[in-house]
Amino acid sequence: MRRAHLLGLGFLSPALAIILMLFLIPVLLTVMFSFTNMSTATGISGGAYEINAASLRKLSDAGAQESFVETLGKEAFVVDDAGITAAAAAYGEQFANEVGSQMLGERFDSRRDLERAFRKLKSRPRSTRDIKKAADLFKRSVLNVRFETAGGLLDAVTGNGIEMTPDQQELLTKTIYTGWTWTSDNFALMAQIPYVWRVAGNTLMYVVLTLAASVGLGLFLAITTFYLPSGTATTFRAIWFFPRILPNVIFVLMWKWLAWDTGFLSSLLGNFGVPPRNWMLDTGANAWVFIVLINGIVGASLGMILFGSAIKSIPQSMLHASEVDGASRWQQIRYIILPQLRWPIMFICAYSTLSLLTSFEYILLSTDGGPGGATEVWSLMAFHTALDNYAGNLQYGLGAAMALMLVIVGILASLVYLRIFNFNDLVAKPRIEQ
Amino acid sequence: MTTLVSKLRQSTAAAVLAVTAASFAGDAFAKDLTITVWAGGSNDSDVYRLDAIEMAADMLTREYAINGEELNITVEKKRDFADWAAFKQAVTLAAEAGDAPNIVVTSHLDIAPWSQAGLIVPVEDYVDMDAWPLNNIYENLIEITSYNGVVYGLPQDAESRPFFFWKDTMKKLGYSDAEIDALPAKVESGEYTLANVLEDAKKAVDMELVEEGYGFYPRVSNGPDYAQFYQSFGGEMLDKETGKLLLDKQAMTDFYQFFVDAVEAKVTRKNHIGTEWDQWYAEVASGKAAMWHGGTWHYARYTGKEGLDDFFGNIQFTLIPAGNENGRANTITHPLAYLLTAQDNEDDVEIAAQLIKIASEPRINTLHAIKSAHLGIAKEQSNIELYANDRWAAEATERLLGQANAQPNHTGYGQFSQIMFKGLETAWTGTRTPAEAVAEVEAEMKATLGDEVIVR
Amino acid sequence: MTSSNFRSWPLFLVLGVISMPLVIMYVYLFVDTVTDTTAGSLIPDRFTLHHWRFLWEEPETGRVSIWTVTLNTFIFAICTTLINVSASVTAGYALSRLNMPFKRFFLGGILTLHAFPTITLIISIFLILQMIGLYNTLIGVILVKTALELPFGIWIMKGFFDNVPWEIEMAGLQDGASRFTVWWKLVLPQVQPGVAALAVFVFLSAWSEFILPQVLAPSGSAQVLSTYLSNLIFDDIKPDFNMFKSVGVFYALPVIVVYLIFNKQLMNIYGGGTKG
Repeated sequence: MRRAHLLGLGFLSPALAIILMLFLIPVLLTVMFSFTNMSTATGISGGAYEINAASLRKLSDAGAQESFVETLGKEAFVVDDAGITAAAAAYGEQFANEVGSQMLGERFDSRRDLERAFRKLKSRPRSTRDIKKAADLFKRSVLNVRFETAGGLLDAVTGNGIEMTPDQQELLTKTIYTGWTWTSDNFALMAQIPYVWRVAGNTLMYVVLTLAASVGLGLFLAITTFYLPSGTATTFRAIWFFPRILPNVIFVLMWKWLAWDTGFLSSLLGNFGVPPRNWMLDTGANAWVFIVLINGIVGASLGMILFGSAIKSIPQSMLHASEVDGASRWQQIRYIILPQLRWPIMFICAYSTLSLLTSFEYILLSTDGGPGGATEVWSLMAFHTALDNYAGNLQYGLGAAMALMLVIVGILASLVYLRIFNFNDLVAKPRIEQ
Repeated sequence: MTTLVSKLRQSTAAAVLAVTAASFAGDAFAKDLTITVWAGGSNDSDVYRLDAIEMAADMLTREYAINGEELNITVEKKRDFADWAAFKQAVTLAAEAGDAPNIVVTSHLDIAPWSQAGLIVPVEDYVDMDAWPLNNIYENLIEITSYNGVVYGLPQDAESRPFFFWKDTMKKLGYSDAEIDALPAKVESGEYTLANVLEDAKKAVDMELVEEGYGFYPRVSNGPDYAQFYQSFGGEMLDKETGKLLLDKQAMTDFYQFFVDAVEAKVTRKNHIGTEWDQWYAEVASGKAAMWHGGTWHYARYTGKEGLDDFFGNIQFTLIPAGNENGRANTITHPLAYLLTAQDNEDDVEIAAQLIKIASEPRINTLHAIKSAHLGIAKEQSNIELYANDRWAAEATERLLGQANAQPNHTGYGQFSQIMFKGLETAWTGTRTPAEAVAEVEAEMKATLGDEVIVR
Repeated sequence: MTSSNFRSWPLFLVLGVISMPLVIMYVYLFVDTVTDTTAGSLIPDRFTLHHWRFLWEEPETGRVSIWTVTLNTFIFAICTTLINVSASVTAGYALSRLNMPFKRFFLGGILTLHAFPTITLIISIFLILQMIGLYNTLIGVILVKTALELPFGIWIMKGFFDNVPWEIEMAGLQDGASRFTVWWKLVLPQVQPGVAALAVFVFLSAWSEFILPQVLAPSGSAQVLSTYLSNLIFDDIKPDFNMFKSVGVFYALPVIVVYLIFNKQLMNIYGGGTKG
């Protein structure tokens, strides 16, 4: 490889390393997760094998024989020679002798009973935890024990004298595994849940309305400030630019204050006899108005600046000439300014569609999808499903599948945009080499 | 992938163990450790959830000192989470990353999923459940913090969720003082039902005693409270025999229908859900609503920040009335629990276990109970003056706690309750009829919970 | 426009009316932090510094001091800016000027990522951070924020490098300087406005970031102002809008300062990145 190549790759490598690690691998993982049933209960980093009341229930549902399930589910602590030997090694001969002489052959149905029996002994270990550990040396069942591997579980079961056929072994390890498994159910599930379809509709509405609001408002601001004297124009631009750079938590806080039941709107309208209410969450329609306004104003800030700089690049002579010809202001906008803005408008639409589809911070902070899920959009639903809900049942798998839909839409849209905005022009050949 | 992660974990664990072993070898008697406690959904009045651990640490240090061991515990306390959702997300992810706080204060409902995932360890493996103060905790509370017969957590507080009546409005509706005093008994016996609630609420609105939408003024967000109304109409959440969740379609439809009727009768607002809590508290504590339901801890807020001086003179409280002949008057208790998270170093877990044990001392727990208007966890608390002299704690314990049941510890219950509430919201806001909403609920429950739910 | 045909007062009027809600919100955002208002009234009637008490009072049990949080936010924003800008400047130059294999592929990839649903990846990002042991640390959040904004940064910087005349480099090379020296001594100074613009942009974006620290660094020691403020708003026993606003103004001050100083550079990035 030539030196120039190395230089190029070297220059690119820090960025590539970061992007690869925290951007591309996550994309691949998202794809992977969306084909699992991963959730809070299964854990992310793999599961274990545990026989307990809940997993035994699953086992009999899966068709295991009743007698087998019953044997597995029996709790037993037996004071036998093996246990006494182990106790002697861990807690001393004296204790083991006392256990042996007083309790040999006894059976206990729970550890707590055995602990109680131990506590009557004079030479017992003097810490609660040691007594519990000593009791565990006499455990002759696998109930409520967590095994990291299937082998460990099977050995323990066989060690307790329960014989299993290979079929039973397979059924056992398969059913009681607590971790996640591969599945393609997530996608079928999404199609089955009516709520998901409603959210899809909301998302479409959100993108269309917000886009319309931000492009419309952006155009209006760019054109009006263009016609104003520069001092006034700068002030207005600053007013409308701030929402873009103001941290979103503060921006939403301002709107909440405006809409709060004790806030500005309620106090103002209170003077006219309108009862106070939370204007943001009062009805679904109200919530939509606020969502579109909040997001639309942030979008309009960007539009205002892009359109503004495009208008500035229109030759002044063109505008002067039209004025001499007696064009009205409307005609000037319609025939000179708007045609110049075709590309910036297209760019904003393309760019905003994607960012609206995937951004949910403003909705999360303002309505959180309410009232009654009226303003829940797809990305927010993915976030709620995977990471953020009252019940705390985080469904990583389903959430990732929802996110994957957006990833696919994002990639497709980018490919289309690359064609529209003429990718080849962007990849200029270096002029120094060759 | 999975194996890689677990390998990575094991090796870190081994490294940590090696390091701790090395550091302990040299200096066996002085031990410094930091115990982290996170509490979810906790306001300023709930600080004893955290402070109790600090008090316990002080006590434990003294006990160790008497045995000649030097133990220095730093307690790191955190409760500033945006809401329950953010708290649970933080705990779950931190635990997955092996970076969990030692102790968490959370709903007992988290025990099922978190124990299956191995995020928490049974408290009974570390403390003597037969010894003081654990042998004094109410057995039914211990049962609520157990899963699969194993005690996973220690109850941190108890509460229940009563139905409230504004006495003045009731009097204007024609109830005498004696009748109002007899209400709790009539509700309990099933004489006064949710149908009467609707009727009285409508009268209150029609007579303009309260504004439209303020006849019956329910909780503004999802919570265990709504499962109570499902029970009022005969719904059961868990099938006792099979241990599976239970969707009773008839009860669910009746329960949704009740709220739809309330909206149609103009006694409840269609857009009620999502009302700000501050507004809600201020309104119910000033008699703007005729009837509502809430929690025992609301007492602290009504009499504190909202400035309702004479609670007992203004408000009557009862169980949640029965809905129809299928159901019963009921109330749900939703205790929070101290849970121990799995840690690489088992000694830390043991110290944490001893701390939550000491924090369950009746005297320490009483500080929390009275400051936050929760109910006690241990029998002896009624012999502690601070508790016994508090009229609210005494009356609420007697009238409500005996009838209280808890929601089931089941890995799928979180989804169950969420879908149930989503269905209620769609019916309530008029997006769907109750029957349609229940059909959606059924479809979604079958899809997400599969075999774990029985539809009846 | 100066022609009398184009009177500006009707425009001024319309614009003023439309801007009114925003202006009201800004004004009250500041006024409410130092005044008290009787309930139900719109006009503040008492001056007070009470709402700013969070600056000097001890934090309550289970909360973090505002100063720790502010320091965190600065570290977070500044580190993100430094890493992002340095990586963007090198990568942008490579993509704009240097010859290398797979260039088309890299450029296409960067462009696709630039418009990518980043936040939906947060679960997987969590897992990666957990594996490399950076979950619940400020460094972790810094790296993630950098990674997610890098494609945009590279793209912008490439645009600025594209506008530097080739003659400058040719001349440098003819004088016998190495490619690296030429870049460092001759090209970089040419794109200084771009670097400044990108730095300001990234700083502001990191300063506002909410979801990433919220999910990836929940413990108190790594909290930033955005999560601090949103956690404060939750506490429903003591809702104090004026105090929320005071924290909000405290949080917004750097943004306002940055805007006042770097206003021109910021416009550069919004205007410049899209001419292509």
